Amino acid sequence: MSMIHATAVDIAQAPLDPAAALEFVSDPRFGGITTFIGRVRDHNHGRIVTGVSYDIFRPLAVKTFEAIGNRAREQIGEPLKLYIAHAYGRLAIGDLAVVIAAGTPHRDEAFRACRLAIEAVKHEAPIWKQEHYIDGDSAWSEGCSLCEQHRQAESGARTAVPVASPGT
Amino acid sequence: MKVHIELFGTLREAGTGDAIELELPARASVAMLRNTLAEHLAEHAPALPHGLLQHCAFASEDAILQDSDAVPHDRRLAVLPPVSGG
Repeated sequence: MSMIHATAVDIAQAPLDPAAALEFVSDPRFGGITTFIGRVRDHNHGRIVTGVSYDIFRPLAVKTFEAIGNRAREQIGEPLKLYIAHAYGRLAIGDLAVVIAAGTPHRDEAFRACRLAIEAVKHEAPIWKQEHYIDGDSAWSEGCSLCEQHRQAESGARTAVPVASPGT
Repeated sequence: MKVHIELFGTLREAGTGDAIELELPARASVAMLRNTLAEHLAEHAPALPHGLLQHCAFASEDAILQDSDAVPHDRRLAVLPPVSGG
């Protein structure tokens, strides 16, 4: 039985499914279940948002989710089940962009695994968000440079390096 | 050799489409590809911010590539701007 579920979902085909996430991480051994849900909100940095578009390098994104799951198992311990799903395409306000769920015997590990997963998704997955505003403008969100993370990892340090991405 | 480079995020709006093909020497490194692509974008996508490519990662479908890596055997890779998912 797989302990990690990693998917990227075309929003035009189906929405993300939190119930499926909870079902996947549930287990008779587990007393702690945690969930993180990222939804599209209607404002950012003082601007009214009407929707977002997510671009994705899908094969590497799914591999990244799987690697995050394996890292969670190594750092937090087993047994652990982790569910990571991210939507891509054009999302409306209120749509679910990311669903993460973790299941472990006790609550501390479940909270930690869920937090580890969402932070890693945000800083490591090859996914890009473009916000659409009420005035018709659009802008790519500030991002974290993956190549600079790798350079720092090689030198012994490992921190995300945010880099402002230009608007359009 | 012809190298197929898939573009993502803000790079898709550079006016060069979703992918670019560049001619590189056989056994070229990612570092060489980076420099060649930077020259190509400076000429064909002048609206892109100067220096953006230095913050971009190159990747195959399986992993992020280091500048010292050779271009993959299938001559296909992706350029990843700073990420903003989640």
